[in-house]
Formats: sequence, C-alpha cells, structure tokens
Amino acid sequence: MTQLSESVVRLIDQLSTLPGIGRKSAERLAYHLLRIPQDDALALADAIRDVKLNVRYCARCFNLAEQELCNICLDPSRTQDVICVVEQPRDLMALEQSGGYRGMYHVLLGKIAPLEGQGPETLTIDKLVQRVKQGNVREVIMATNPNVEGDGTALYISNMLQGLNVIISKLARGITQGSILELTNKEILADAISERRPF
Amino acid sequence: MAAEKTLAIVLRVTEFSETSCVVTLFTQDFGKLSALAKGARRPKSPFEAALDVLSVCRVVFLQKSGDSLHLLTEAKLERRFRAGARNLESLYAAYYVVELLGRMTDHLDPHPELFRLAVSTIVELDSAIGEKHELHTTISILLMRFQMQMLSMLGQAPGLHACVECNANLEETIDKKRVAFGLNSGGILCAKCKRNDRRIISLSLSALQGLADAMGTNFGINDAAVRKLPLGEMRGLLDWYITHLLGIKPTILKFL
Ligand SMILES: [Zn+2]
Ligand SMILES: [Zn+2]
Repeated sequence: MTQLSESVVRLIDQLSTLPGIGRKSAERLAYHLLRIPQDDALALADAIRDVKLNVRYCARCFNLAEQELCNICLDPSRTQDVICVVEQPRDLMALEQSGGYRGMYHVLLGKIAPLEGQGPETLTIDKLVQRVKQGNVREVIMATNPNVEGDGTALYISNMLQGLNVIISKLARGITQGSILELTNKEILADAISERRPF
Repeated sequence: MAAEKTLAIVLRVTEFSETSCVVTLFTQDFGKLSALAKGARRPKSPFEAALDVLSVCRVVFLQKSGDSLHLLTEAKLERRFRAGARNLESLYAAYYVVELLGRMTDHLDPHPELFRLAVSTIVELDSAIGEKHELHTTISILLMRFQMQMLSMLGQAPGLHACVECNANLEETIDKKRVAFGLNSGGILCAKCKRNDRRIISLSLSALQGLADAMGTNFGINDAAVRKLPLGEMRGLLDWYITHLLGIKPTILKFL
C-alpha cells in the first residue's frame, strides 16, 4: 500500500464519519475530490461552512432557518392558526413537498423514546405548549411518525394540550393507496376500519 | 448459512443507513438476536409495517456464524401494539418488558417459555382498560407477574421462603410483622444473617406473600385479593432487586 499524504488521510477519516459512508466509499469520494477542479471542491467546502455558520433553528417553530424566523413562519399568506407537529425538519419538508398543507409547523427535534433515554424534556414540547397558550391557535395536527414511539409522543403532547381550547387531530392512516385489500396485512386493515370516516 | 423461521417480539429498531435498519428481536426459538433489515426504510419494504417496537411478527432470517449481526429476510406483522395511542402508562410498562428482555437475556440463548410470557404480558398491557387508578393497579399486577415469572424462568428469583443464607425458616425471619430483604444475598434474611448484608430493605409480610404468589398462575388482574396487595411496596422492592441484579438502573424506571 502506498503512503497517503496526511491531508488525504484526514479527508478520508472525515468522510467516513458520515452516515452510510464506509471506509471504501470514503476513499472513493476523496479521490474524486482530488480529481475535480479546485473551484468545484471549494464550493462544496464553502457550502458545508455556510450551512454550519448560517443555519439555525427557527425561534418559533424549530424548522431550519437562516434568520431568527424560518421562511414558513415569515410567510403571511399561510394559515396562521393551524400548527402541524412533526418530529424532524425532514418530515416538514416531506409535507411541504406534498403541497397539501398551507398552515404553520412545530418541529419537535426528535421523539419521546424512553428506551433510548429520550424524555419529553429533550424536545421542544414546552415551546409548543407556550405557542398554544398564547392563543390564536385553532387546531394542532399531530404528524409524528406512524409507529409506537411516534404515537406515544403524539399522545403525550395531546395530554399536555388538554383543556387549552384547541382542536387536536392526527394524520389519517391505514391502507396504502394502490394496494389490494385482500393482500393487506390484517393489523393494518384493522387500523383502517377503526379510523374510518363518513363518506 | 441456513434460513430460520420463528416468532419474534421487536425490542429495538435503529437506523442503519438511508434505507436499512438494524433490529433487535427476542425470538421464540433462538432468544435475543440482532439482524440487518435491508430496505426496511423504503416505501415498498419487504417487511411492511412489522418492524416497530413491541410488534409481534413472524420472521425469517439467515443466521451468520461467527457474526452477531444476522440478516433478516422476511417479517410479517402478527400483532401491533396499539395502546401507545391511548394510554401512556400501558406503553411505558410494555417498554419496560422490552427493556428487561433485552437486558436480562443473552444473544442466541433461547427461552421459549419466557417468550410466551412476554407476548401474553404485552397483549394484556395493550388491552388493559379502566380509569386512571384502576388501570394503574392492573398494570402493576401485570408487570409484577411478568418480573417474578421471568426471574424464576431465568433462575434468578429472589429467595422468599426461608433465610437465603442459613435456611432458617420463615418464622425466624419475622420481626414485628416485617422481614428483612437483603439485596446482596438476594432474598429474605434471619435476624442473625441480616447483620452481614449491608443493603437491607424492610418488607411487610403481605408484600412478601404477594411476591411469592406472583410467581404462580393464580395472580390475576381481576382477583380482588390481588388488587388489595401493597402493590407499590412490591414494585419498589422488585425495582431495587432488578437494578441490583443488572448493576444498572433500567432506563424506563424514571418514566414509570
Ligand atoms: Zn418557523
Ligand atoms: Zn440466616
């Protein structure tokens, strides 16, 4: 094996700390970066620097923001009195890409996962309760992930919002569109039946 | 590399990459094991919605020798835990069952009886109903029965019938209707022996009897006599005992 220069080793070490990047992939990426024009490589370095220096959490909803408030909180054309609660900024992005929602958000920055030692105090739940207490919120939509921990998180939050004169709803779930009823898992089918709605 | 089929409770799911995750399962025939589920995070995953904490599913996996990470090839959901959308106490109690299975058992050390006990406990926790106080009692009974029977199946049950050090009979251990439970000794102690255990918990006679009964099959949630037991005291002792056995306080205890 040839002796690599110290800088290249450092780059490979850094790249291999990224999720899903093993040693081999890190080496491949490092050689790629060595080959491409200097400007292209530095543009990547600048982008990483900018995102760490300029991006922060929105002071109101904890979405990613480049100023005190995020673009969604600053957009007056959106419905102001509905808040959709999600676990992570990437969930917010998915809902935005769906184009089906024009209200506000609240990002929890995680979920309650007691087995991982993650309690409610590690999330932004108190800030959400504050927002609702300040008034002008008609509805809170729970859009945590449809799994046991996501459900538990949504239930904890809805308990916290009890008695605050706000409608609490959650995303519909059940059978996947385009799937076949007789091949649908009976547990999923049971959920769909219990969460049926008027035609 | 043989393909193995078994029933499993999902103990833990962790993201492994963009599309895959690693699951820790407690299986009926192989005990605890960890497996890589490739593509589990894709929309059209071969595992459907089976890979969620507390789900009971039918799995197929390839056993990799000399490697602790096996390969999961199939998972069909048999039963999903639903109480998480209804009451947090049931959910956290079920999390505790999962944590104990994970901490008290070893990889590939099968305990089919314990598997059946765990599934029935999870099912009962999932269907437990009642107003707050009633529900709390029901959950305490279910948890206690699970813990005592698990300890007994794993050969770790506390000694409740005679002094665990010198075998002096129960009467000689009773002092003003209470007994001394020695954490280091792992059971009740007579007046003489308790001087040698520096971690003593005083236990009422009814709590002692209740703990012994919890190992039997007649310890039901609808039994009026069981519901009147000092359940808080019994749970307290078990929490101490299990913490002592594990050498670490279970993570869930501060949430329960
Ligand atoms: Zn915002
Ligand atoms: Zn003794």
